[in-house]
This record gives sequence, C-alpha cells and structure tokens, in this order.
Amino acid sequence: MRAAPAHRLGAAEQRALEHWQTRRRWARAGLVYAVMLLFAIVFVGPLLFAAVSSLRTDPLAYPPSLAIPQLRPSNWAAAARLGQAGAADRWFGGFAPGAVVPFEIAYFVPDGVDVTDPDVEVPRRRPGAGLGAVLAIEYAADHASVSELRRLPDVPMTVETGDGTISGRRVGYAFTIRYEGTGPEIDRLPLDVTAAVGMQYLDSTLTASRLERRGRTASFNDVAPGVLGYVLRNYVRVFNEVRSPATRQSLFLAWIGNSFTFAAVRIVVTLVIASMAGYALARLRFRGREAIFMLVLFSQMVPLQVLFISNYLVLRDGILTIGGFTLSSLWGYPGGMLNSLTGLVFVTALNAGAVFIMKQFFESIPREVEEAAMIDGANHWRRYWNVVLPMARPALGALTILTFQGAWNDFFWPFIVLTSPENVKTLPIGLLSFRNTYGAVGDWGLILAGAVTSAIPVIILFVVFQRYFMEGVSFGGGKE
Amino acid sequence: MRTKRSDTVAAYLFLLPFLVLLLIFFVYATGRAIYFSFTDYDLFRPPNWVGLRNYAALFADALFLSALRNSILFAVIVTAVQTFLALVMAAVLNQKVRGIGFFRAAFYMPSITSSVVITLIFLWMFQRRGLINFLTETLQRHLPVLLAFALILIAVQVVQVAWERRRELPAAWTDPALLVVSLLVASGATWLLVTTGLILPRDVPPVDFIWLQTRDTIPSGAPFWLSVPIPLAAIMIQNVFTTIPTFMLMYLAALQDVPKSHYEAAAIDGANATQQFLRITIPSVAPVTFLVLTLSMIGTLQMFDQVAIFGDAAPLRSVVTLAYFVYDRMFPGAQTPEVGFAAAGAMFLAVLTLVVVLLQRRLVRSEGY
Repeated sequence: MRAAPAHRLGAAEQRALEHWQTRRRWARAGLVYAVMLLFAIVFVGPLLFAAVSSLRTDPLAYPPSLAIPQLRPSNWAAAARLGQAGAADRWFGGFAPGAVVPFEIAYFVPDGVDVTDPDVEVPRRRPGAGLGAVLAIEYAADHASVSELRRLPDVPMTVETGDGTISGRRVGYAFTIRYEGTGPEIDRLPLDVTAAVGMQYLDSTLTASRLERRGRTASFNDVAPGVLGYVLRNYVRVFNEVRSPATRQSLFLAWIGNSFTFAAVRIVVTLVIASMAGYALARLRFRGREAIFMLVLFSQMVPLQVLFISNYLVLRDGILTIGGFTLSSLWGYPGGMLNSLTGLVFVTALNAGAVFIMKQFFESIPREVEEAAMIDGANHWRRYWNVVLPMARPALGALTILTFQGAWNDFFWPFIVLTSPENVKTLPIGLLSFRNTYGAVGDWGLILAGAVTSAIPVIILFVVFQRYFMEGVSFGGGKE
Repeated sequence: MRTKRSDTVAAYLFLLPFLVLLLIFFVYATGRAIYFSFTDYDLFRPPNWVGLRNYAALFADALFLSALRNSILFAVIVTAVQTFLALVMAAVLNQKVRGIGFFRAAFYMPSITSSVVITLIFLWMFQRRGLINFLTETLQRHLPVLLAFALILIAVQVVQVAWERRRELPAAWTDPALLVVSLLVASGATWLLVTTGLILPRDVPPVDFIWLQTRDTIPSGAPFWLSVPIPLAAIMIQNVFTTIPTFMLMYLAALQDVPKSHYEAAAIDGANATQQFLRITIPSVAPVTFLVLTLSMIGTLQMFDQVAIFGDAAPLRSVVTLAYFVYDRMFPGAQTPEVGFAAAGAMFLAVLTLVVVLLQRRLVRSEGY
C-alpha cells in the first residue's frame, strides 16, 4: 500500500479520499463476514449434513443429497394419513386389527410396451441386523391381505432422457391392505411392488424406500409409518430395534441412562474433591505444599496409557485383595469393579485439571474476605464452607459444565472399564458397538442417528452456557 | 506467611480424598507401570524380572515400529498443518466486527462433540461412495468453470487496481472494495459462459478412492519412515478439522491485543500483507504459538480414540499409534496379554511426550519469549 500524497490535496480531494477509505472499510467488513460464513459452513457442515442424512433410508445412497424424500411435505402428509389408517396413530403409525390402508402407485409405460399388473406383496422382512435381531417379532405378513388392484385412468406423458424424448403414458394402480381378524398391533407394514420389465416406477402415495431388481421392485420399509415414524425412522429404530437379547430392554435408553448417571456422579465427586484440594493449595501454608503442587502439574503430562495398566488391575482386584478379602466388597463389589459405573467413577475421580482450576479461582478471592471470619474464630472448615465456597459459585458452575462435557464425551476409561454386557456401557462405547454391528452391513442410518442423538445434550449445554466452554480453552484444557 | 501446625493438619484433611486418589491412581500406577516394563508379566503368572529385554524387543516388533512411525508422522504433520492454518485463518478474521459471537460458536461445534460422534461421521464420509469422494469428483468436474472464474477475477482486479493507481489512489492489490466488484463481475461472467455453453463441466471418471480398507501409503512406495498410510491420512484430516477452530480462537484472542498502529506503521514503511504477516503477526503471537504447539504435540502423540473407533474399518498396521499399541498388547484378543511389553511401550510414549515438551520449552527459552 502506498501512502497518499496528503500534503498536495485540497479540502475537496481530502474528503474524496476519506470517502474512498470508508468504502474500503465497509467492503472489508463485508468480505470478513463472507469468509466467516464460509468457515462456519465448513466447520458445521459435516455435522449438519450427517444430521440430515441420518433421516435417509440409506445414508450411503449415492450421490449424497439434501433433497431427500423425508424432507418432502407431501410425504409427511401421506405418512400421517397412512399412520392414521394403519393404527389410528398419525405420529408413529403401526398396523392394528381392522386397519384398511389405501395405497396408490404409478408407472411410466413407453408406447409399444404391454401393461401387466404388478405383483403386490407384504414381505416377511426382518428389521435390521445385529443386536436384538435374535428376538422373536410379529410379522405383518401373517395378518395382512392385499385387495385386488384397481387400475386408474391412464394419462399420456413424455419422459426426457439423455438420448431424447420418449412418449408413453402414466399407468396408476390403487389397492388396500387390510388387517383381517384379530391379533397383536404390529410396528411396521413393509411392502414390495414388482412391475413387469419396461414399466418404470414414477411415484406412489409414499416415496419408495428403495428400488430393487434393476428398478422393477419398489420396496417400502413401512407403508403405515405416521409422520415421526417416517421422518425419524432411523431414530425410532435406534431406540426400539436395539435391545438386550436377555431382557428385551432398549440398549440405547440404558446407555443414555448410564451416561447421565456417570456424568452426575462425576460432577458431584469432582466438585467436592477439587474444591477442597484447591482451597488447601490456595489458602493454607503447610509442609509439602510445593511438592504436591508439582505432582499435580506432572500428573497432567503422563499419558493415560501409562496409568491404565495398573488402574485396570486395581479395579479388577477391587482396589485391594488380601487373602480372599476384597476391599470393594465393603461397598457391594465382591468381584472387583470392572464393568460397573462405580469402578468408572473411581478411576476417573482423579482430576488434577479441576484442582488446578479451583486453586486459581480461590487465589483470586481477596484474603480480607476470610479475615473477618477468622476474627470471629471460625475454623478452616467453616471458612471454606460458609465464606469461600459460596463465593466460588461461578467457578463451580464452569467446572460443572466442563465436567459434564468431559464425562459425557469420555471415551478412553469407559472403553477400558465397561466391556460387557452391553447394558453397562455409556453412550460413546455403545455407539462403538453400533459401529461394529451395523457398519459391517452398511446400515449407516442407525449409526448416524445414534451419533446425532448422543451429541444433542452437549450441544444444548453449549448453546446455553457458551461462555463457560470458551473459558475452558484458556484453562488449557484442550483435548486433541 | 509461616507454616502453622494447625494449618498443616487442616490442609492434609482437605487434601485427603485427592491425595488418596493421586496415590492409588497416579503414583502407584506409574510406579507399577515402570516395574512391569522390566518384567514378563502376563496378568496370570507372577511377574519375573527380565531387565531391559522388553525395551530391546520393542524395536524388533513390526507393530511397534509401525506405531512409532504413525505416531511421529501424525504428530508432526497434524501439528504443523493445524497450527499454520489456524494462524492464517485467525489473521484473515482479525477484524473487530459485530456478531462474532455467533461465528465463534459455530466454529466451536466440532470441538465440543465427542470423539466418537465426530469419528463416526468422518468414517461415514470416507466410505468409498461417501461425501469426500463425491466432493472430490464434483470439484474435478467443475474445474474448468472454477479456473475461468479465478482468471476473470484476477484480470478484473488487476485492471481496476491499475486504474485506481493511475488516479493516484493508494489501492493495494487485494483492495477490498475493488475485490467485491471483481467478485461480482467474475460471478456474472462465469454464469454467462456456462449458460451459453462456452465453458462446461468436464466429464470425469467417478472418483472411487479407497480411504479405509487399504494398505497403500502416500506417497506410494516411499521409504517406511516417510510413508503415510492412507487411513492414517484420513484421521489426520479429521483431526485437523476438529482442532483448527480451538486454536484459531486462541490466536484470534491474541491477535486482537496486537496494536493496530504496528500494522499502520509497517504499511507506511511499504510492507505488503505477506511481510506484515511474517514480521508483525507471527512474532506478536509467539507465546500462543508455543502453547498451541505444546497442546497439539501432546494431543497428537497420544492419539487413541480414532484408532479404536476405526477398529476393523482399516488395517491395524495402517492406523496403529503408540497409545493404541499399548492397549493392543494389554488386551490382544485371543492371545496372552503381554503386560510387560505393553508397559515398556507406555514408558516409551511417556518419555517421548516429556522430551518433546521439554525440547519445546527449551527452544522457547533460548528464543527469549
């Protein structure tokens, strides 16, 4: 940039130059917003795209797209109508005795191709694979009967292809699926409609979940889904389909419960231990203080992999086993504390970072505050409990939120401690068994839906308490 | 303040829960790991002292050497790339504008979610028919259009700046007001070229790059110590993506404290944007760079989660790190655990981390920051 030759300018030219500079400032601000928007799209994009794709029947369907049937309002209306017809439930649908589910499907038939009525079948299709797939379920196929097909009036139409225009007509069919007799209410009503060669699927009451056999078979996962059952199908599956083979309990619900319990207990334990230790290190002068503080700093530099070998054995042995007596049997764990949330709390209770934060905070409180209490003859505990701790609410709040995030997202320790059975796991470890079970068969809908669900609590917390997260950075608590 | 006996008693009472945990889960654990590393312990039979045999065996173990190579390349490349990009992005965004809070929150999203969620999403994007390959293909297809856009943009900008300079106005080559005009002109012109069919997206073969189930490396056929396995590169991309925002915000906070007058003085002396970046921006954020480098090296050297989550989605050799090596020897599936061997690997990782941190501290001291 060259300096303007200001000394040669008159007043008018000076003003013009100022205008010129102002324009530049505005333009620069505009460009900065544009760049920030671009960065925001880059960083939030994958999460948002995964969230949208988790609604797709098959998130691996190529090409990736945001224009998906689940986001089309016409499908929402149809799903509600069909859910109402199937089980009088427009939200989650189903197939109940007495149900009459009306359905229409349309094909494009080029001129010169004979029209043959398609085959309509309610298949016996087992939902999903893996966890819980061994459970006995009721099939809609055992109770459903499909009516005669009624052919709708043909409509002439043309189709554009890469090679030119093909003329032909639109051939539509209507039929109903009935639940005859009595029986249990069934979760879903799958449907396969197979047309003759040459007939090309156009649309149907509800968009087909997928086309099979070179496009001849339009396959529907559920033709009585209800709005939520249709749009959030993968999410419903996450909660319903993945069950413990032994107890039929929803594993995903169990994982959520474990994660919340673990987070809550860990918050309480961290706040108590860290505030007490932080108070001592910040306010009291005693022999060994420096040594302990150095140990606190040093403990943050040692990799978890050094510690987990012994800590795993400590949990296995219930802290201490001497001559057949296990210490942890005192609080109800005679066989050691592996595969228990209690063991997990024990092994994660050592949180030097939290002690450091509390120490820093207590040091920022002026000593005079305590001196008044000291004159009244209050002992250390009273000074800590009645004077300093109430003042530490902001620090305790920040620590609560950071600890929740840490516990909710924690991977390493739960991965080591909680291995079996499935229902002792926390969410991140549970998601990993999702990946192992469903990733192999390419069922990414379930995995993405689980991942997105598990991210929601932390995102809500972040939106509400953003400030605390940002401060977390300055505490140097950056994980990789 | 002098030490009082009652203070000492009270202090140790306050510290009791913490110290008990510290003793069992840190001091004892570290000591036991050191001890195990000199034994042949396997979880079942009592340990026998074997001296340095485990350490010697590490360097004859193919999996350990892969882990060492992967960890070092991962740490060095990821740290370099993410530190550089974070600084550049912070410098670009270093403007006092309203509403930055919203954007800061948006940038933060990838770093608050758990490693499992992010890794699962990236695993999905790195599938053969996934988003990454799709975007690559789309980019390749539209390369002529992008090229045309870039050329028109540069041409229009050069003409405008030359014109302004002839009018004796101090326009820089990156003048923002002119750039806005250039962007609009280039967008319009490119749109015209595409709609009139003068420039069209090319036909390209579908991109079918295998990111995960492969033993190939980048560069292909390079010496062992310099070749990055492709699945590891995928984790690198993910790690850079999730960590940049945190570091960028740290840099941004530091940059906002650099006085504007420094840049103005440099501009008067005729320094261009690159020179200003090298001479003013980089030196004034040196302390943050040190913090960022340290945090990044510690984080990347100890990378574990992503390897565990990738699991059988990629060959173990291609993604194993030192941290995962330790886990793998401790819990080797159907084989007998090699606790002593695992402990030796863990000690190696701990020493490596410590050395890197101390070296960096030393370097910083000698530079006088």
